[in-house]
Amino acid sequence: MIRLFFVLIALGIAKPVIAHPLRLSLCEIEYHSNKKLLSINLKLFLTDVNEAIVFDPYSKELAFCQPNESANADQLLLEYLNRFFHVKINGKLVDLKVKRKKLSGEGDNTALWVYFEYRQDAPLSTMEIKNAVFTDLFFDQNNIVYVHVNGESKSLMLNKKTAVHQLKY
Amino acid sequence: MNKLRYGQSIVLILFIMLAACKEKTAPVEAKTEEELLVEKALEIHKRILTLDTHADTPLRMIEPGFDMAERHDPNETGSKVDYPRMKEGDLDAIFFAAFVAQDIRDDDGNTRAKALCLQMIDSVVASTERNSDIVGLALDPDDAYELEKEGKRAIYIGIENGYPIGKDVSNVSLYYDKGVRYITLVHSSNNDLADSATDPNGPEHGGISEFGNKVVDEMNRLGIMVDVSHGNDSVFYDAIKMSKAPIIASHSNARSVTKHDRNMTDEMLKLMADNGGVVQLTMLADYLREAPPNAERDSAMAALRAGMKPISEMTKEERTELRKTFQELNEKYPAPPATVTHVADHIDHIVKIAGIDHVGIGCDFDGGGGIEGVFDASEVMNITIELVKRGYTEEEVAKIWGGNLIRVFKEVQKVASDLQSDQS
Repeated sequence: MIRLFFVLIALGIAKPVIAHPLRLSLCEIEYHSNKKLLSINLKLFLTDVNEAIVFDPYSKELAFCQPNESANADQLLLEYLNRFFHVKINGKLVDLKVKRKKLSGEGDNTALWVYFEYRQDAPLSTMEIKNAVFTDLFFDQNNIVYVHVNGESKSLMLNKKTAVHQLKY
Repeated sequence: MNKLRYGQSIVLILFIMLAACKEKTAPVEAKTEEELLVEKALEIHKRILTLDTHADTPLRMIEPGFDMAERHDPNETGSKVDYPRMKEGDLDAIFFAAFVAQDIRDDDGNTRAKALCLQMIDSVVASTERNSDIVGLALDPDDAYELEKEGKRAIYIGIENGYPIGKDVSNVSLYYDKGVRYITLVHSSNNDLADSATDPNGPEHGGISEFGNKVVDEMNRLGIMVDVSHGNDSVFYDAIKMSKAPIIASHSNARSVTKHDRNMTDEMLKLMADNGGVVQLTMLADYLREAPPNAERDSAMAALRAGMKPISEMTKEERTELRKTFQELNEKYPAPPATVTHVADHIDHIVKIAGIDHVGIGCDFDGGGGIEGVFDASEVMNITIELVKRGYTEEEVAKIWGGNLIRVFKEVQKVASDLQSDQS
């Protein structure tokens, strides 16, 4: 049976699969109690953002960070992010409002950086992060989350299966 | 002759089993030449040391609740490596690379990168300790063979991207003490050590920086392999000049076969041979073949987009339905995959240019690697099958699957030992 299983795989008929490029996004969350400042930065591939929002990876319709950026680009972006991403501080949902955006890189590797910033007076006791961005597009999407709180750094990987995680302080 | 005797024995055993069962079954057919070749390849695969030099599995280890001792379905989760699948694929040893994405190159950024890198390394070590009945942390070249004898998988540690070294060369020995045995100098953007092959801003140091040179010296002194994958061409030439020990490319392919800046030119392959180093072939589709056009899908997608109303006028339900339709089109017209044939084409080419002693395998599982037929760690035997079909001998397959890398690793340790003796 084991041999048969191996032979089936060897002949390429065990399961029809296709190759997948790396599907990754990066999120950095930072909090300094002395500055009472919470910042959230998302680094997303622009092709993924366009695919998610306007169903076309190479669409120029929203023109993020361009002089002709669509008037509803931020609104559509936030609508999408609110479905797949959140941060809760001490149990309270952070209201996502884009502070600034920028593009970096070129071609398929162009990244859209989205910055959020908040005043956070109360000390952190818990931080809940949900990051399932693009898991509606790609089953193998992985989202790296770096959390820096008062000089302590921690990394997490969130995806479709494990979309939410809570850190305690 | 041996094959004939073997075949006769099989038929006899099956005849006895059938007679004992006293049941009517279809007549037993002799094995085809293809089946016998596959059988031979699988036996070779089992006998030799199989070592994969590059997996980004530590990224999985930081996923809350991810258990390396459990088998995961790659089509469900995208995960490509766990210990049960290493066993299924008869993958004896692997380098898990601690990867930290390039970020700001100041003191804060460097401090954070170091903390994140140490967290990943600790995750790997903790995983080997939790699963010490089936795997072991490997530090020296011979550990892979020793652990294989014990029936355990050997887990080596690398670092992908020298960013966590920051500007402090003493960090190299810290990582060595933690078990790191190769460092990829740079990743997708330039860092303080070296220039990347893919930084959109172009080169910054003209190859390896002065500080990067000090890092290479320290890696040589300690016995850490210098990995030039992800570096631009100048990084390769500088590493060849600077390193006192042979170097490696832990996951790179041949540029003559597939034009990509991450792949190595024939001149580089020849120099790698002169250097005594090794190029570890990777299973990233874009590095294995130029993606063929998918005209049917493109035209079906364009037709669908042409009929769409503006996004802002769509309801959530309409968007969900549209997403489903796009996904159905992707499934109907899948992109032609990279296959194990492409892998073997690259190996053939590297062998032709650099020789059989300078090629190995670094799949880049959990970092984008995985193709049809070698989708995850459980399917790596298909590389061996293709090589045997192409006429590679057991000795040659053993070199490709780990022998060459182990030879370089030993040489790197010998150079380190000599350098340390000279200093004392």
